[in-house]
Amino acid sequence: MRKAILFAVILVLAALPFLFGSRYIFHIATMIAVMVPLACSLNLMLQIGQMSMAHPAFMGLGGYTCALLMMKLGVPPLGSLMAGGVVAAIFAVIFGPVFLRIKGVYFVLLTYAFGQIVNLVFQEWTSLFGGNSGLYGIPKFSILGWRLTQVSQYYVLAMSFASMAFLALRAVERSDMGAMYRALNEDEMLSRSLGADALAWRIGAFTFTAFIAGVSGGIYALYIGFLSPDAFGWRLTVDLLLMNVVGGANVILGPLVGAIAIVPLPELLRDAKQFQLLIYGCCLIVFLLFLKNGLVSLLAPRRGKA
Amino acid sequence: MIQQMAVNGLLAGFIYVIMALGFSLIFGIMRIVNFAHGEFYMVGAVVVLFLFGSMGVPFFVAVLIGGVVCAVLGVVLERLLFRRLVGDELGGMIMSLAVGIILQSVALIMFGPSEQTVQRPFSGTWGLFGAVVPWDRTVVAFCAMVVLLAFYLFLKYARLGLAMQAVAQDPDTASLMGVESGVVYAASFGIACLLAGLAGALMAPVYTIGPYMGELPMLKAFVVVILGGLGSLPGALLGGLLIGLSESVLSTLLDATAALIASFAIVLLVVLTRPTGLMGRRTR
Repeated sequence: MRKAILFAVILVLAALPFLFGSRYIFHIATMIAVMVPLACSLNLMLQIGQMSMAHPAFMGLGGYTCALLMMKLGVPPLGSLMAGGVVAAIFAVIFGPVFLRIKGVYFVLLTYAFGQIVNLVFQEWTSLFGGNSGLYGIPKFSILGWRLTQVSQYYVLAMSFASMAFLALRAVERSDMGAMYRALNEDEMLSRSLGADALAWRIGAFTFTAFIAGVSGGIYALYIGFLSPDAFGWRLTVDLLLMNVVGGANVILGPLVGAIAIVPLPELLRDAKQFQLLIYGCCLIVFLLFLKNGLVSLLAPRRGKA
Repeated sequence: MIQQMAVNGLLAGFIYVIMALGFSLIFGIMRIVNFAHGEFYMVGAVVVLFLFGSMGVPFFVAVLIGGVVCAVLGVVLERLLFRRLVGDELGGMIMSLAVGIILQSVALIMFGPSEQTVQRPFSGTWGLFGAVVPWDRTVVAFCAMVVLLAFYLFLKYARLGLAMQAVAQDPDTASLMGVESGVVYAASFGIACLLAGLAGALMAPVYTIGPYMGELPMLKAFVVVILGGLGSLPGALLGGLLIGLSESVLSTLLDATAALIASFAIVLLVVLTRPTGLMGRRTR
């Protein structure tokens, strides 16, 4: 019941920009819609007990692939968008088996190093990626001769992908696959003794979420029309984690709520830019210590005091 | 040429070793990946900038104070924040990340984003087997070796050091034998921060000082620790020197980014063949 109300609120929020159609509100709403699939991807990884720091890099790989395919080879936008996701997924398939060989901490360290190094390559390989000054002149999205120029149209594009990604990840969470992931996370030995191939399942989740992150990167590239490496850096990792912790890291609904709460924050804190990270850090600590399962857990019916 | 690369590699390697040792110590005892480790390095350097650079306190005194400030900060943070999350790997990591960004943004608010420098307390060079060795790097490496030796003796002979080893090996048995885990947690976090602070303080005159200066040493500590084996202290020594050497060779022949990518590739190869690192123990 409470969840139904929450979904209704989210739907109303999603429709709001059309009522108060200022460009600015559309921009924030579009950024939320770009971040939701990313934050939800990270959520699936957190649910299987693997904190991935590579997803911003996957987003970057998808974004740059999409942009470069369109600019250098003239591939149609929809194809480039998908290709961006596929390239990110290919990286995940190649590196996943190495990263996931040992559970937990090694994965975090290796994905962290991977993310930093992919970012360094974006910065240093200037002839292809444009380096720190960025990659300009990414063409607009168009399909069947219909060209998207308005922010509101990009909002619809980002929103439709966000909804698809969210529903797909929620389906995974609720299916047998989700049950398998929870079992692996809770007792790996037991699940493996029942015939679950732990590594294959984890690589599957890593690849699927990398694909989603890659497509989000492409949508971001098409919307902003400009790419620079720092959009996919350490800051994004922190933002995505914050969305999960604030919303609730143990359900897929959490990061959705988290993204709606966190993405508009930098706009509100515009006059206090240097305090932004400080506030993020304090938020993380407060939620970790006092509201471990995030805002979503406030919705769950209270259990008896035990 | 070869001698020069070897000397440069070893000089850089000792700082990586000290960073990696503290990082590995926290992980071995508390199972927390300390994402704030680079920020303690930064705090140590900032203390030297303040005391030695603007107040004229002697260099070594400033370095020691820098280390102690970090140690105290570490113990306080451990008691207030990390103690509640012992055993919760994911929570501990996110907490350390939060502490890291808070320290970084406090530094940003206080000093601004600009990079600052401290005058070098030592200058000039000397020769070793035909290689040119700058004096300031020599002093850093020498101090690092002294710190390493002191840390080794502490672990081997001091009661607290032995208790720390016991907790790292088997927390339950250690607690049955009367080892107070709280004291060990606080001590190991403090010592790890002390090591990071000393490393930052020693390196302050060598590189520029700014809020983001801790990020690269932390990335290198990560790489060293995976290479050597998480929680393994001899592994951190071996890994640190290996990474220092390989980076020195590759950044002379190619460039610094290529060297970093190469050390990552080396680590991936090691993880493929020996998943727990060169000297890591097999975990459950």
